[in-house]
Amino acid sequence: MSGATQTGAPAFGGEFFARYGIYLFLALLIAGGGLISPSFVSAGNINNMLVQLAPLGIVVIGQAFVIISRGLDLSVASVMATAAVMTSLYTSDNSSAPLIVASALAVALATGLVNGLLVTKRNVSPFLATLATAIMLQGIRFWLTSGAPSGNIPPLFKQIGAGSLGGVPISLVIFLVIAVVFWVVLHRSAYGRALYIVGGNPIAGRLVGLSSDRVIIVAYMISSTLAATAGLILAGFAGVVDNFVGRGFELDSIVAAVIGGVALSGGRGGIAGAVVGAAILIAIFNLVLLIGAPVQFQIIIKGAVIVLAAAFYVKKSKS
Amino acid sequence: MSNPALPGRSNLRRALSSNGALLAVIALLILLVLVGAGLNDRFATVSNLTNVFEQSAGLGLVSLGQTLTVLTAGIDLSVGSMMSLISTLASGLIDGDLARAAWVIPALLVLAAAIGGGNGLLIHWLGVHPLIVTLGTGTVMQGVVLLYSLTPTGAMPFELEWIAYDRFLGLPIGATITVLLFVLVALMLRYTTIGRDVYAYGDDPEAARLMGISQRKVLIFVYAMSGFFAGLAGLYLSIRFGIGDPYQGQNYTLASITPVVVGGTMLTGGRGGVIGTLFGVLLVSLLNNLLNFLQVSTHLQLVVQGLIIIAAVSIYIERKRGLA
Repeated sequence: MSGATQTGAPAFGGEFFARYGIYLFLALLIAGGGLISPSFVSAGNINNMLVQLAPLGIVVIGQAFVIISRGLDLSVASVMATAAVMTSLYTSDNSSAPLIVASALAVALATGLVNGLLVTKRNVSPFLATLATAIMLQGIRFWLTSGAPSGNIPPLFKQIGAGSLGGVPISLVIFLVIAVVFWVVLHRSAYGRALYIVGGNPIAGRLVGLSSDRVIIVAYMISSTLAATAGLILAGFAGVVDNFVGRGFELDSIVAAVIGGVALSGGRGGIAGAVVGAAILIAIFNLVLLIGAPVQFQIIIKGAVIVLAAAFYVKKSKS
Repeated sequence: MSNPALPGRSNLRRALSSNGALLAVIALLILLVLVGAGLNDRFATVSNLTNVFEQSAGLGLVSLGQTLTVLTAGIDLSVGSMMSLISTLASGLIDGDLARAAWVIPALLVLAAAIGGGNGLLIHWLGVHPLIVTLGTGTVMQGVVLLYSLTPTGAMPFELEWIAYDRFLGLPIGATITVLLFVLVALMLRYTTIGRDVYAYGDDPEAARLMGISQRKVLIFVYAMSGFFAGLAGLYLSIRFGIGDPYQGQNYTLASITPVVVGGTMLTGGRGGVIGTLFGVLLVSLLNNLLNFLQVSTHLQLVVQGLIIIAAVSIYIERKRGLA
């Protein structure tokens, strides 16, 4: 959260809520959910939610890097689906695993690079640049698979996506490792500091001699690489691949980041907040279904949460 | 946005840049028809071009409203859900009865404009980026329409089908009305105070505030217009297909932005205009039609759509840099 302390000095109470309100909210949500529906806090359901959290959490970490750079990545869902499709493109035994990972990585790095280059060198708005690459990737994916992917996923990916190690889901372990690694990158490395400066104040970044273009391009490449990882995990979890693995993740990841205090104006927020934002989103979706409300309420509540969370942080930073 | 331009000079620059973009998109349109005529002898026929024109009315209406929000450096991501909401409510409430259509249609258009105006007011009040606000309200609207009905329901009165299918002097009526609406909005932007305020606000919100232009008024106006035209598009398409659909607008939200950008309206606001969007709509529709003629798979058409966005944006950005 080192970024949050760099900007302004709100009143004590305000700062407390801005920094810790999100954790408080998650705690209240879980406690309240448990009161409303005891099965919400059952071991099975918590395990269930954590498995759902893993892919969204991985994507939101990458999204946070891009948003801190004052950008936005709408291509994550398309990257996820394209990586997922790679699992069924080769042979269905484990021998094709290196090839699958390599092609998913290649797609991710290329997409991130193109996004980053368009945003920095061509000055294209992140919204349009990542929208355009998302659409193009979708076209390429459909074309590759002739509309519907066929073929089987190597068992290795199924194990990673759906298996568990001593009761702990493997996907959750991968997510936690990624979270720790990228927490260090963002909050303890020179690159992380550069990213906050470039996103928070591009002119200052240039003055202290940062190559802001390179910093931003790397953020987009991190985002698509993490999206591809999440795509592989989701494909393994489902065990079958379709062309829309990860549908909705582009918006959900942005919403989660915003709930978690990653400001769209750049330069603010952190990994912990973004991950908690994702957890809140997952918990709300889960709770809506548990209390037996029509699934449409999931959609309505999601919409309301988007606006309210964004408004909460804007008002905070103004006061 | 980052360079504080002098208000006097920015007018000149705006005129140069938007006219340049307009000429470019018209030239591309002519080029496309010529190339298409060379590649396929059924492409540049009157009947095919008229068909493309007829089919572009729905996209035209949404993009018309979207242009106004983009002119203020905003965006309306709720247009697709608005179309779905209005078309499903219309079809469900009217249920094929022309007498009921007489009050349901005007009432729903008022509702669409009111919800849109609500978007503008929320953006003004909360100070949150329009992308987030309209994404949120659009999501809520999608949930509401699915609560009303999960599947296409009711019917639109077939007595209204002439709007979509009939021709007047050889021109499809719905599409011709759409073009007239484009012209009307263009005139409104040029000759009314609120229209000029939209440009001034989009060019430089801070300078506009100093000139006494009300941010609230501008935002309510453009988002109300966007909501209204999205609602109109929803009504048009449900009349055309005979029934409303709770997923009707799903693909229109992002699709509505391509013609705006291709037509030379910058996402940074203040530059461009609806006439550019009109030609952007025709260009996108004709290109898709030509690709169909050339039997390019719909999958690769997506790739082309992405390339168009990138090409358009890159070209216009360079123009801005060159002039700035």
